[in-house]
Amino acid sequence: MKLRKSLFFILLFSLLSSFSFLIQTQSPNTIINGVYKKMMKAKDYSVQATIKVDLPFIRMMPVEAQIYFKQKDKFRVISKGIAIIPRQGFDQLTRMLKDTTSFTAVNSGSEIIGNASTTIISVIPSADTSDLILGKLWIDIKQNIVLKSQLTTKSNGTILTEYTYGTQVEYGLPDNMVFTVDVKKFKIPKSVAADINNSKKADSKADKKKGKIYIKLYNYKVNKGIPDDIFKK
Amino acid sequence: MFWKSTYNEFIKIAAKPRSYIGLGAITLLIGIVLFALKMDGLTYISFITAPFEQSLSFEGNLLNGNTMAFIILQMLIIHIPLLVALVTGDLVSGEAAMGTIRLLLTKPISRSSVLFSKYLAGCAYTFIIIVWLAVLALGVSKVIFGTGDLMVLNSDGLVILQQTDVLWRFVSGFAVAFLALVTVATLSLTFSCFSENSIGPIVSTMAVIILFTIIGTLDVPIFDRIRPLLFTTHMAAWRSFFEDPLPIKEIVNSLVVLVVHCVVLLAIAVYKFKHKDILS
Repeated sequence: MKLRKSLFFILLFSLLSSFSFLIQTQSPNTIINGVYKKMMKAKDYSVQATIKVDLPFIRMMPVEAQIYFKQKDKFRVISKGIAIIPRQGFDQLTRMLKDTTSFTAVNSGSEIIGNASTTIISVIPSADTSDLILGKLWIDIKQNIVLKSQLTTKSNGTILTEYTYGTQVEYGLPDNMVFTVDVKKFKIPKSVAADINNSKKADSKADKKKGKIYIKLYNYKVNKGIPDDIFKK
Repeated sequence: MFWKSTYNEFIKIAAKPRSYIGLGAITLLIGIVLFALKMDGLTYISFITAPFEQSLSFEGNLLNGNTMAFIILQMLIIHIPLLVALVTGDLVSGEAAMGTIRLLLTKPISRSSVLFSKYLAGCAYTFIIIVWLAVLALGVSKVIFGTGDLMVLNSDGLVILQQTDVLWRFVSGFAVAFLALVTVATLSLTFSCFSENSIGPIVSTMAVIILFTIIGTLDVPIFDRIRPLLFTTHMAAWRSFFEDPLPIKEIVNSLVVLVVHCVVLLAIAVYKFKHKDILS
């Protein structure tokens, strides 16, 4: 009886070990495919957003907006007021991941983010003409979701994005996104701004070159169908 | 008697064709600016957003009536003093040139009351100019472009004000712009008391404004002490209402400087007018 019990535990242990080994040895492309497939579950979605901007050189109150997305690449933000979002916004990741032949994915180690263990996948584009220079994704392979991404492009610089998931984790859609963006040092002549009498000394905040955009997403409506007219500006 | 005299002075202003040059010029200028912005306003707006466009995208109605009104104010508020001085610089010297000042001063009313009547009528004219500017810049812009958040480009960054937070700023801004124009009106009236023709006070007023503006714009340390005392430095105080947070201390300081200028200039004008030789 004791021998049977011991044999059972040895077998269970070896099974768990091999499963964990399998997880760890998934190829980077397989991991990315897993994430992409999860993202593709949402054919379309609309969501309400609260956008809070904390950028040097820009002062504004949080803005409410409605965001629409439809496969493959239709994206629109509708806001009563003026909303500022990163150029590499919501659909950049999906667009990048959809063609796994256009880049080489490399496993760059692992990192713990919050309570989740993530695998870091570096994405290097195959073509010299690609806008992307380097992509880095922190992927929770248990849930097939991206918890952090850092995309460096020729046109838009580097944007670091942190994702927090909640209600729509099954579609890989986050509840909160925090974008860290590079902002060029901003200084325009007083005469150009017609601000000739401004004698205030530069704000210490003005020396900051990084800023953050916080986007809280709520009231998701996933796969309910969105008419194409909404995407016409 | 004082109010009747003020009313008469206002009628005199209304009867002069030159009084309508200002209103006509504002109407024409705003009409041209609105037409140009309606045709190609997004190019103009992209000039404001360009420094940020590399990494950020602006969504929403950027080309709206509030932003247009601010752009128009910024363009015109520098030129409007000329239109005001054109009328207020003529208030005393015009009468001297025509010889009607002798008849005017035979009325049973003191010289200071006559001057104050002229001053009040000049202020009323300035008020009409500002109201007309507000109606065209804000009212017509909103009709053409709709409403929306206001984007203000300062030399140290971009301020975006929500549309619900904008109206009181415009009203306060126009009120301060009115005080600034009243200061110009007071200056030209004072010059008018020293002159026997209309051109002198108008040109002198503009010369002072240009000179002070140049001194105020030059970032040379030698002018650092003078700059805060010049009324032209504070004529742009209306712009402070479009900053966030509101620089209350600076606004109050500007109001004090403008009011002190008005009082001192008016005192000089009263002294000169009381001692003015109208017989020669």
